[in-house]
Amino acid sequence: MTLWPRSLGGRTAVVLLASLALVQIAGLTIHALDRIDLLTLAETRDVGVRAMGIYRSVAQAPPAQREQAVHDLDLRDGSTARLQPDPPADELPQTYQPVRRQIAVSMQLVPVPAGQRSRETTMQGGFEDRRVIVGMRFPEGNWLNVMVPMPPIRIWHSMNFLVAFLLMTVAAAALTLWAVRRLIAPVATLARAAEALGRDVNAAPLPEDGPSEIATAAAAFNTMASRIRRFVQDRTFMLTAIGHDLRTPITRLKLRAEFMDDNELRRKMLADLDELEAMVAATLAFGRDVTSDEPVTTVDLTELTRTILDEAADARPELAEKLTYKGPNHLTVHVRPVALKRALTNLIMNAINYASGAQVSMSEPLKGQVTITIEDSGPGIPLAELQRVFQPFHRIETSRNKETGGMGLGLPIARNILRAHGGDVTLGNRPSGGARVTVTLPV
Amino acid sequence: METTTLVAGAGSPAPHILVVDDDREIRELLARFLERHGLRVTAVRDAREARRALPHGHFQMIVLDLMLPGETGLDFARWLRSPASNMSHVGLVMLTAMGEETDRIIGLELGADDYMPKPFNPRELLARMRAVLRRAGDTAARASEPATRAWRFGGWTLDPTRRRLLSPDQVEVPVTGGEYDLLVALVERANRVLTRDMLLDLLRGRQAGPFDRAIDVAISRLRRKLEDDGRHAQLIKTVRGGGYVLAAEVERDG
Repeated sequence: MTLWPRSLGGRTAVVLLASLALVQIAGLTIHALDRIDLLTLAETRDVGVRAMGIYRSVAQAPPAQREQAVHDLDLRDGSTARLQPDPPADELPQTYQPVRRQIAVSMQLVPVPAGQRSRETTMQGGFEDRRVIVGMRFPEGNWLNVMVPMPPIRIWHSMNFLVAFLLMTVAAAALTLWAVRRLIAPVATLARAAEALGRDVNAAPLPEDGPSEIATAAAAFNTMASRIRRFVQDRTFMLTAIGHDLRTPITRLKLRAEFMDDNELRRKMLADLDELEAMVAATLAFGRDVTSDEPVTTVDLTELTRTILDEAADARPELAEKLTYKGPNHLTVHVRPVALKRALTNLIMNAINYASGAQVSMSEPLKGQVTITIEDSGPGIPLAELQRVFQPFHRIETSRNKETGGMGLGLPIARNILRAHGGDVTLGNRPSGGARVTVTLPV
Repeated sequence: METTTLVAGAGSPAPHILVVDDDREIRELLARFLERHGLRVTAVRDAREARRALPHGHFQMIVLDLMLPGETGLDFARWLRSPASNMSHVGLVMLTAMGEETDRIIGLELGADDYMPKPFNPRELLARMRAVLRRAGDTAARASEPATRAWRFGGWTLDPTRRRLLSPDQVEVPVTGGEYDLLVALVERANRVLTRDMLLDLLRGRQAGPFDRAIDVAISRLRRKLEDDGRHAQLIKTVRGGGYVLAAEVERDG
């Protein structure tokens, strides 16, 4: 259903505006019915009094001069009167009973000389016919047949009323929309805060004011944020402690290796130590990335990506031709540059290590996010592994060899960092063979 | 306090290095390693001993571990670079904990000449120490100047403490280590022609491996990043006969 909006604000506004419309329609109906009653009463009274007034004027004359009295009547309201031997012909339908009764009641209100009251009354016509024909029989037996105009009831008589009503409705609708927007605003603030917490665990707390429900939600949110912060700090502290404890023995070993006489053995030992150091660095990075105290700054994402490719090309010049970039020349993002560089480096180095090449392409920003695709022409990733490779310390079995190295932390670290920035990374295979890594990042 | 002195050959006396590290084994091994490569070394365990040793040794350089018991390495470095110490000319290489970016940044802001994350590669440490010693020899007056906080040229900012390049609209433009060093060399000698050989010489201290052709590659990448059109380059100009010059007024923030 397209009329039903997705946003809470939209829905609330629709409900309130629909209620407002219902109330206004009901109000208008009540007003109209009331007015119909009132006008009916007024007009029937008017008709009755006029008809009986004419009758009285004629009845006051002696019977012989009544013809002359009818002739002398000065009727200025469009009424007509005729003295006839018979009641009026059936020219119009019989008057609607309630209207007839009301006319009859008002006819009683006109004082008539005693003994001259009409002995019999007929009535035809009504509002629809715009006139009423009343037949009244004199005591002498002949009839006075009077036609009195009866204008139809106009409910919407006043332009002022309609304008005022319209203004009132518009004002109420505008107030409703404004109030909804104000009431809903804290929900949007909460959503923004949750998103900010995802990017930066040390984001400023929410103000705990406003309506009580919102204040409670904000307080609960702040409590949750501080718990997450503490958890993350504990984990970082533990990992940093491990890293700190390991760096001293590794340093000692590296120094000791320098005193070994066997060059080949020393070279191998230093290589092992470098690997060990890289593992400690990866573990530290895995523990730290989300909590990093690195500040968020404005960075040119294009140059960040190209710099990673340039560094890879510098390290392995033979692959320089196979490291390509395609996309915009400048794209500004708000990120933690060191962390994001680590994430993209991990992904690009995976392609280089497994497939000896990486084709990186970047999209123009679309709907507030940019997509970076890293493709290679290597063996690709087995379907069963597509999700598992994101688990810490998981490695694809066939890749357990010296060349690719690593601890199975590259992808989890990259994903943690990207998710902490509000983005994500997914893996897939190209139809033509080779892996495709898709990175999204908000801009 | 363990002190070993070893004079490397005749001629100028070997530079004297003060190593400050609280781990006894690292202290001894590092001293042995540096001595083997022709340096004189005094090794102490903390800032207190370092202060006691300083007036007697005529040191050219201090290798300082930032994680020290008692007074921290950063506090000691701050004191060392203050006028009170009368030692601000001494070269300073910090050993930082791996990944502790803030320590490194504060250290460089305090005026350390270079840093090595621990666990370090001893040969790389030696190379950096030599580079710092050579730079100190190059410009004797340099040591008395306060550390550079930023260079500004043509709207761009080069921030040495965070090793980053900021565009005129304050967007960080990432550069590789080699590109950064090259840019520093050009900026420090703005409006002077630097031949490829001079650039190679200036950069060898940090750069390992072949860098010959890499200079041209790095220059073209830098031009791209500085939005300096290669054919009509305005900032980094090519000089006929094989050299480059940074053609811009450079402001230096102390």
